[in-house]
Amino acid sequence: MQLFPRSLNYLPLLVALAAMLGGAGLTFAVWYYGSPWNTQVGYAPVQPVAYSHKLHAGEMGIDCRYCHANIERSQEAMIPPTQTCMGCHAVIKTDSVRLQPVRDSWAKDQPLEWVRIHKLPEHAYFDHSVHLAVGVGCSSCHGRVDQMEVVRQDQPLSMSWCLDCHRDPGKAIRPKDQITNMAWTPSTDEAELVAAAKTVNPPQHCSGCHR
Amino acid sequence: MSKRKDYQFSKPAPGMEGKVFWTSLEAKADPVAYQERAKAEFVDGVSGSDTVSSESLRMKRRTFVGIAGAAGALLGLEGCIRRPEDKILPFTRQPEYVLPGISLHYATTARIAGDSIGLLVETHEGRPTKVEGNPNHPTSLGATDGYAQAAVLDLYDPDRSRFPASVKDKAFTDSTFAEVDKGLTAIADAAAKNGGAKLRVLVQSSSSPTFARVEKAFLAKYPQAKVYTYEPISALNTKLGLQQAFGISAEPAYSFRRARTVLALDSDFLGSEPGSVRNAREFADGRRLGSPRDSMSRLYVVEPGFTSTGASADNRLRLAARDVGSYLKALAAELGVGLTDSEGANFESLRSGVTGAKAPAGVPESWIKAVAKELLAAKGQSLIVVGSRQPAAVHALAFALNHALGNVGRTLVFTPSVDGAKAVGPLDEITALAGELQAGAVDTLVILGGNPALDAPANLKFAELIGKAATKVHFSSYRDETSHLVDLHVPRAHDFESWGDHRSFEGSISIQQPLIAPLHGGRSDIEVLAKLAGIEWWRGYPLVRTTFREAFGAGSFEALWKSALHLGVARELTVAPIGSVSLDGAAVGDAIKQIADAKTALGASNLEVNFVPDPGLYDGRHANNPWMLEVPHPLSCVTWDNAAYVSPNTAKELGIANYDLITVKDASGATVDIVTWVLPGQAEHTITLNLGWGRTVAGRYGNGAGFNVYPLRSAAAFGFGDGFSVSKTGGRYPVSVTQETHSMEGRPIAIDTTLEEYRKNPDFAEFRSPTLSTLPLWQEVEYKGHRWGMAIDLSACTGCNSCLIACQAENNVASVGKEQVARGRDMFWLRLDRYFVGTDESNPQIAFQPVGCQHCEEAPCENVCPVNATAHSPEGLNDMAYNRCIGTRYCMNNCPYKVRRFNFLDFTGQVPETRRMQYNPNVSVRMRGVMEKCSYCVQRIQEAKITARREQRQLRDGDVKVACQTACASGCITFGDLNDPNSKVAKAVKLDRQYSLLPDLGVQPRTSFLAKIRNPNPEIQG
Repeated sequence: MQLFPRSLNYLPLLVALAAMLGGAGLTFAVWYYGSPWNTQVGYAPVQPVAYSHKLHAGEMGIDCRYCHANIERSQEAMIPPTQTCMGCHAVIKTDSVRLQPVRDSWAKDQPLEWVRIHKLPEHAYFDHSVHLAVGVGCSSCHGRVDQMEVVRQDQPLSMSWCLDCHRDPGKAIRPKDQITNMAWTPSTDEAELVAAAKTVNPPQHCSGCHR
Repeated sequence: MSKRKDYQFSKPAPGMEGKVFWTSLEAKADPVAYQERAKAEFVDGVSGSDTVSSESLRMKRRTFVGIAGAAGALLGLEGCIRRPEDKILPFTRQPEYVLPGISLHYATTARIAGDSIGLLVETHEGRPTKVEGNPNHPTSLGATDGYAQAAVLDLYDPDRSRFPASVKDKAFTDSTFAEVDKGLTAIADAAAKNGGAKLRVLVQSSSSPTFARVEKAFLAKYPQAKVYTYEPISALNTKLGLQQAFGISAEPAYSFRRARTVLALDSDFLGSEPGSVRNAREFADGRRLGSPRDSMSRLYVVEPGFTSTGASADNRLRLAARDVGSYLKALAAELGVGLTDSEGANFESLRSGVTGAKAPAGVPESWIKAVAKELLAAKGQSLIVVGSRQPAAVHALAFALNHALGNVGRTLVFTPSVDGAKAVGPLDEITALAGELQAGAVDTLVILGGNPALDAPANLKFAELIGKAATKVHFSSYRDETSHLVDLHVPRAHDFESWGDHRSFEGSISIQQPLIAPLHGGRSDIEVLAKLAGIEWWRGYPLVRTTFREAFGAGSFEALWKSALHLGVARELTVAPIGSVSLDGAAVGDAIKQIADAKTALGASNLEVNFVPDPGLYDGRHANNPWMLEVPHPLSCVTWDNAAYVSPNTAKELGIANYDLITVKDASGATVDIVTWVLPGQAEHTITLNLGWGRTVAGRYGNGAGFNVYPLRSAAAFGFGDGFSVSKTGGRYPVSVTQETHSMEGRPIAIDTTLEEYRKNPDFAEFRSPTLSTLPLWQEVEYKGHRWGMAIDLSACTGCNSCLIACQAENNVASVGKEQVARGRDMFWLRLDRYFVGTDESNPQIAFQPVGCQHCEEAPCENVCPVNATAHSPEGLNDMAYNRCIGTRYCMNNCPYKVRRFNFLDFTGQVPETRRMQYNPNVSVRMRGVMEKCSYCVQRIQEAKITARREQRQLRDGDVKVACQTACASGCITFGDLNDPNSKVAKAVKLDRQYSLLPDLGVQPRTSFLAKIRNPNPEIQG
């Protein structure tokens, strides 16, 4: 007696195929999710204030550390308090519509809610101050912020990207007075790069960054 | 066991004959069976805990399917989620000094365990996270005890009272502080009419100059009102004894550094007595051995049950607490023979008073003769200390003897008390208050802190008396037993939330600086009293500043105030000790008459019960602090419970054993049911009970943990008392102990000897350690940069547990609960092993050994990790990358020291939001299924290295201090760079006492131990 239609003979094959495809798909999805390709380079969210780094840092040439004042002392770069904005804008462009949220924040004592762009996993303990202390400049990781109208993520910030530099730091090490110089480019002389790399000893072991 | 070779020693170990180390009586009785059982590191039934219903511990099938299904569904969802948008909220106006990512340390003082201690509290963006000792403060000298370490978790307790409440029939209705102020005004108005004739205030003991000042103002406004003090664990007997002996109102401060011979009578001066942190440092300093030529002090301890002090004794005599006075009298009689009359007639009355005094039964003659001989030989360099539980008369006699021995002014000084008031007995004031309540003489009762409904002497029935007052207000951090009985409950601010000041026992005055605004809007004691007193500026800040302005003088006030805040101690105001004292011979003669020899003999039906502060909960005030609940009792290793500690022989006589529930009954018929725990070293026919457990309204962690022993604690047996009997209830009770988990399986790891032996064989430690029997697996690495290492001096360790709590606080180590501890799943990165030493089961010696990750250079854990989650750093740290760990637990199995801890369950996911505020932001919080272990505080190493790099300098010795090291009061732990020949640790590991654990395995641990040296008097047996 034939209880099942003949077409069902293909069912096991179909199931096997689907399982293989599904498995491969799942594997790919998981792999992609964790891969450096999925690291959101170019992420440029809309910020509560249309602050232009291009204008302030680029055209007007304000040093990075004027606003990110904490960076040479702390692991955090520190988004400046509203106070810093108002230091100038209490007298400059006091009627600008684009600055209304800043004035509101100041008046109501409510913080501005900036959207985070550069985000490391919480088990990675990155320290800005020590990178500056050894001569890694801002642009090495953040790109040409002075040319960005809207700040975007420039580098993948993945572990392999960190390690690339920790293993061969020569190209990122610059003279201390060039730290905030966005236009600085590494030397093309191999010997100079090697000499620069020798001035630092970046950790490549787990507890260097993970605690 | 059969596979393992017997240990080979290079030559017979000197002084090893008769040396037996054992962790429990079971282990001693049948080592083979015990070790067989210990092989399984995690078992359902750890010795005897078969009574834990394993059914309740096992997950039901349905629950598992449910959870597995939910987890699967979540996994599917997670794939769709893109990175969530994250916000950064900067300040609008940047507060001075608060910079994101930079931790700040503020100097403050806190009243902890009946004593004030100077602290430095670490804050991250305004959140206090970690307590350190203040090196500038004489009570701390940079270290802390466990209570201080745990204070920060009390601050974030999710069960702290959050709102004022009106209370009716034990039901709370939340109200507001405006209502509280109205209530206080009403009380003040009513009291103003009759001078406060029916107003009574009950406070906790205080050493605050501001409190004394406000109290004076309060009493000036209401001359008829009274302020009573009650403290369940009080040092008033000491003060009273001092007053009897010399007629001064003062407090003693000891210098153990100078004392060559110390006799401690029922005194836990290294543990629970005031000043213990400073005492421990000084005591350890008096016996640090750099070489066999160095000398060390000798400590005699006479006590009923083991304390940290008894465990550190060179000679220890087990003696019932009631017989301690008689012992001192007999000793005084023996001393009297050799003493010269330093004060003529005064001294004569002392001598005649003790003549013919006999030692209590069972005290060997050598304990009188030899001790007296040595005290006489060390005149001016000896010290007799008496525990505050002992009656004032015993203190008076001890102070008189110290005076006669020429110790006063040398090893012992007296500083005038804060208020200059005459000392009273610890129970005088609460008894007076109870009498007034009974007589209806109290209309309004204001209780500032404390929990008298729970901890007042049982015979006063204080909980019933509270109702006799018409209006009753309770200021308390918790809605506790007392809060349920009052009309108005008000949250009390934590010490880290309020302004205040303190004077420590040795005379320094310091400011209690708040670190955070009150989380739940609480008030401090001085604020309440000031408000009642009608002081206009009643907030803590102006009150404390006024006190200091008066003390400093208006001219230089601001500068001195700032420097006192910064340093954590107002050096200019330190109270000088009393220059000279003269003995009141007649009073001491009277005191001696009060020390009566016991008339009845102790026996199975006439037991002595000793009430002692708990090493974790103190008097019950830390009862909802998971760190304190879980920290093992240093001697019994019992966690999450208290127990009735009895000696092996007494247990046999009474027919009781571990896990047996017993009923302890006093002469008046009051009873308490409690579990038995047999503890070697307990005096015969005595029971030690730890206070503070068995709370019913402590909070979510403390409720129902342990047994409440306060119902037995009457005025007649406040510190100790006899006439108790014991009967078995027939029930059994599960107890979680840590002493048998993470067992070292009988390997020789704790090494000790006597000073005499050490001088003969300075390198004895090496001989006692097994010799290398394996070649290293890998080619040895040369460490060119830093080579981190640790040295732990076992001679100084008192087993106080403060390192454990400090480690927990620094490294976000989870508490797991009683059932998980029973299964060997406790998470302490640093465990404190306790060994009984010797063959006498009743009277062993103790060896403590803190064991954390040894950071082996040839680490066996690293070789077996399939995912490289644990790896070696170029500085020799055994790193742990949590996010790589897949939880095979191979590393744990391969660790010879059993120091790796696995998150069997999600121990951190359920932690309430407020407690998470305590987390150290520089250490990952581990999730379920991940291995963790001591990291040598790698976050501190990295921070120090980064700071040095930023400052363009080399790391200096002392830049890196690990958490256990800073907490250790006796300074046992040294940490640093072994490659720096001048570092302290490099010098420590070159000492001849140095040895490492299980060197035969060839794993080359970085942690070294310095063998324990004891200095017993050979003339004393036992």
